[in-house]
Amino acid sequence: MAATAQTIRVKVLFFGRLKDVVGLSEESRDLADGATIESLFADLAKRNAELARFRPSLVASRNQEFAPWNTPLRAHDEIAFLPPVSGG
Amino acid sequence: MFSGPSDDVVLLLADPIDMAALVAHVRDDQDGAIVTFDGFVRNESHGRATLYLDYEAYESMALSKMGAIAAEAREKFAIHRIAIAHRVGRLEISETSVFIAVSAPHRAAAFDACRFAIDTLKRTVPIWKKEYFADGAVWADGEMPPVPGMAPAATRTEKPAS
Repeated sequence: MAATAQTIRVKVLFFGRLKDVVGLSEESRDLADGATIESLFADLAKRNAELARFRPSLVASRNQEFAPWNTPLRAHDEIAFLPPVSGG
Repeated sequence: MFSGPSDDVVLLLADPIDMAALVAHVRDDQDGAIVTFDGFVRNESHGRATLYLDYEAYESMALSKMGAIAAEAREKFAIHRIAIAHRVGRLEISETSVFIAVSAPHRAAAFDACRFAIDTLKRTVPIWKKEYFADGAVWADGEMPPVPGMAPAATRTEKPAS
């Protein structure tokens, strides 16, 4: 076991119905180095089981660009979980 | 008002959209046509009477995506200028929620670019609409944006959560 596991802090944003489910529009999370968007979501879903059932209908973004779920996270990233968009 | 290097305008606005100003912005002596799209709030949704809508945006990303749509429209079609504006916050029945104006030397490119812009906006810009009815409110069904590097989603819409 490494005694000095690195952690990274990221900003997480929630929109639309997801914001209602989570009860927050944004928060900071400290994650283990090597975390991905998927593992971040899994962490959040542990705290809020209802969140998990939204997973198939969400896309994610990293620093304002759509990003695949296996995208690795870096310190200070801004991650958003986006329900289907309905502008217009 | 944000004006890019190519005179494109993309706006997210809490106040009513000044459509005449956007048309004037795209109009120029070298053009021969302007096509506009005016999307406004309908008084019903799936047979239920709508009271009003509330739009929420991931503003920094929405502006970036709207700018990308303008740039892509310019690449794909022989247009001169394009302006794209979207409202956020509460909108009443018949208020304009989205407005697009495209100028071009000839009409075909302006029609095509305007259609491309509204269709792409509805699929890729992170904006969400909550519909308020006499007996409650729901987040509107939407479209899942395509994500680079991922297979397209099998379904375009999700079930309403509640």
